[in-house]
Amino acid sequence: MASVFSPPGFDFSNQLRNNFIAEKGLPLPKATSTGTTIVGCLFEDGIVLGADTRATEGPIVADKNCEKIHYITESIRCCGAGTAADTEFTTALISSNMELHGLSTGRKPRVVTAMTMLKQMLFRYQGHVGAALVLGGVDATGPHLFTIHPHGSTDKLPYVTMGSGSLAAMAVFECGWKPNMTRAAALQLVKDAIAAGIFNDLGSGSNIDACIITAAHTEMLRNVEMPNVRVQKERQYGFRRGTTAWKTENVRSLVVSEEITLIGGDEMDTT
Amino acid sequence: MERIDFQQLKAGEVNLGTSIMAVQFSNGVVIGADSRTTTGSYIANRVTDKLTHVHDRVYCCRSGSAADTQAVADIVHYNLQLYSQSAGSPPTVHTAASLFQKICYENKDGLSAGIIVAGWDKEIGPSVYNIPLGGGLFRQPWAIGGSGSTYVYGYCDATYQEGWGRDETVNFVKNTLSLAMSRDGSSGGVIRMCVITEAGVERLFIPGNELPKFWQGTEVLSALKSKALDPQVVPMAVE
Amino acid sequence: MTSIGTGYDLSASTYSPDGRIFQVEYANKAVENSGTAIGLKVKDGVVLAVEKLVHSKLLVPGANRRIQTVDRHIGLATAGLPADGRTVANRARDEAANHRDTYRSPPPLKTIADRLGHFVQMYTLYSSVRPFGISTILGAVDKDGPALYVIEPSGVFYGYHGAAVGKGRQLAKTELEKLKLSELTAREAVMEAARIIYLVHEDAKEKEFELEMSWIGPESNGHHVAVPKDLFDAAEASAREALVSGLE
Repeated sequence: MASVFSPPGFDFSNQLRNNFIAEKGLPLPKATSTGTTIVGCLFEDGIVLGADTRATEGPIVADKNCEKIHYITESIRCCGAGTAADTEFTTALISSNMELHGLSTGRKPRVVTAMTMLKQMLFRYQGHVGAALVLGGVDATGPHLFTIHPHGSTDKLPYVTMGSGSLAAMAVFECGWKPNMTRAAALQLVKDAIAAGIFNDLGSGSNIDACIITAAHTEMLRNVEMPNVRVQKERQYGFRRGTTAWKTENVRSLVVSEEITLIGGDEMDTT
Repeated sequence: MERIDFQQLKAGEVNLGTSIMAVQFSNGVVIGADSRTTTGSYIANRVTDKLTHVHDRVYCCRSGSAADTQAVADIVHYNLQLYSQSAGSPPTVHTAASLFQKICYENKDGLSAGIIVAGWDKEIGPSVYNIPLGGGLFRQPWAIGGSGSTYVYGYCDATYQEGWGRDETVNFVKNTLSLAMSRDGSSGGVIRMCVITEAGVERLFIPGNELPKFWQGTEVLSALKSKALDPQVVPMAVE
Repeated sequence: MTSIGTGYDLSASTYSPDGRIFQVEYANKAVENSGTAIGLKVKDGVVLAVEKLVHSKLLVPGANRRIQTVDRHIGLATAGLPADGRTVANRARDEAANHRDTYRSPPPLKTIADRLGHFVQMYTLYSSVRPFGISTILGAVDKDGPALYVIEPSGVFYGYHGAAVGKGRQLAKTELEKLKLSELTAREAVMEAARIIYLVHEDAKEKEFELEMSWIGPESNGHHVAVPKDLFDAAEASAREALVSGLE
């Protein structure tokens, strides 16, 4: 008989179950991953962040137009690559904590604060939270741009890329980035970098999202470029009505009719 | 039980395949490092700053996992701030090194961090401490670390001398790191150095195209210019 | 006392209307009733001395020591309830060991005094506890040289050149002020310490007492140890002599 007594401490029975299921040949379910191109770059008065919009599940495109630039605060945003659920929930958690931090200090929280919160959380989870992030924003101390790796290491650079398309995007940055670029030039460079990811990396695709953060204003440019819109098919491939011959016709009413028989006594008096 | 391989990084981890160094001289220390950070074969950062501030006159050079060493340095930085506030005076280099050693030893199974701590303090002046992978603590007049260091132990032994001044020490660090970076694939980029004395911390930067040059190799095959054939040698007769 | 019967003296967590905490003041009374303890900070070391009143001839000499060692280089003398002295000394040892463990270096006396001050103060906040009935003299030679602190029952601590607590503190302080402490050697300070303890001892009221002395200085290699027997005997003999000649 199964015991109803639950011993103190951790319960590892799920691991036993998972090992058993794996032994039987059923692999663990795969998490949706954002095989991704995300970038960020510094320009004369702020930061431009960029991302593609493809989410994949192994070889399958799970979402053709997802959002990878997450809100942290009004003037701090974060691009996420890696396990979609992890990037979604870590950024949401840090965003929440940043809001509370801002409320308790009475100041606009800084980018390093978000960076420290993220790196300490990711380090605590020793890489099991699969979030690779590009964090950018403008605060009282100026514009800042960071990359945060899943194990919790961080880098501060003037231009950064992450995700499976980072190599293609970095190639674009390495030959195109200059200090003190204009807003327009920086946005164009970011769009070029994401496009390089979209067209050269299998894990990246669909549209370009961008976000321009300056001290005064944050502008979220959703689908700023759509290089992969489905064009109108040249011909119709539908079958004409009546293509298939039929022998009988049967029309059923889907309306259910019920007969109510009252048993004993009257209906409740609701007057 | 399975043996723990300290050298092994966690899958996909960011690595500071590194050349780092610290040398003490008469009234200060010189610390230096290359600037390469890698993930597998990709250079994640080519201008990394591996010379990390932990207190006013105490810095550390980080090698091993970027995440681990950053986390450890952050913790030590925090503890030294606490220490200097409650003690009312800056910590000694030894105190800082002890904090590093404690964390590295107590978490030796979970960390891959090889750290050199160096700086200046009122009690002993300049000093260099090496904390290798297992979490030991060794005071040394000079220390080298990271994957690139293995190539230059001999050079350091042959070159280092006691009683150097600032400029000779800076040159020694610059040359050693340049040699290490040219032989070690996971080291490279630029050289960053710091000179820490009582007066302050001075940062030095050597761009990648201005590194000291040593023997660069010569084309061995093209040297076969006009080696005359021995006239005695006759081509084999073919029927 | 005016406070008696007002109810403000029943708990350490209650202020009197004029802003006093009577339980802490009573703790000071416990110190005032105790045998004198003094500390001398001199140019190359620190000397601690205690007038340990012996209430019974049946007691083994050297028992119930009131000078205790905290760390290799730190000593502590208490005046007040001996049991409280042991508690504070044990806490001081823990703090010193903790410091050694984390920073791998001998703790500066100021750090220990600071921590002990906090510890003692915690016992002045709650109704469930009683403030420590002791004043603690802490002495050490640390990285900055000789150091001397006194922690009072309220938790405050001050640094001193010369310190005296317990019954004979007033007279002892006057004697200490006459000395040029910063020019004395530890060996000379031992002689003075013994003399002061003998001087402040009230022969008429308390019959028996035992002199306890320890030092930290060049001759003890920077360690806190009991004063060597030959020096101790010499100091005691000279103290007795000074007392006799002083009376004449």
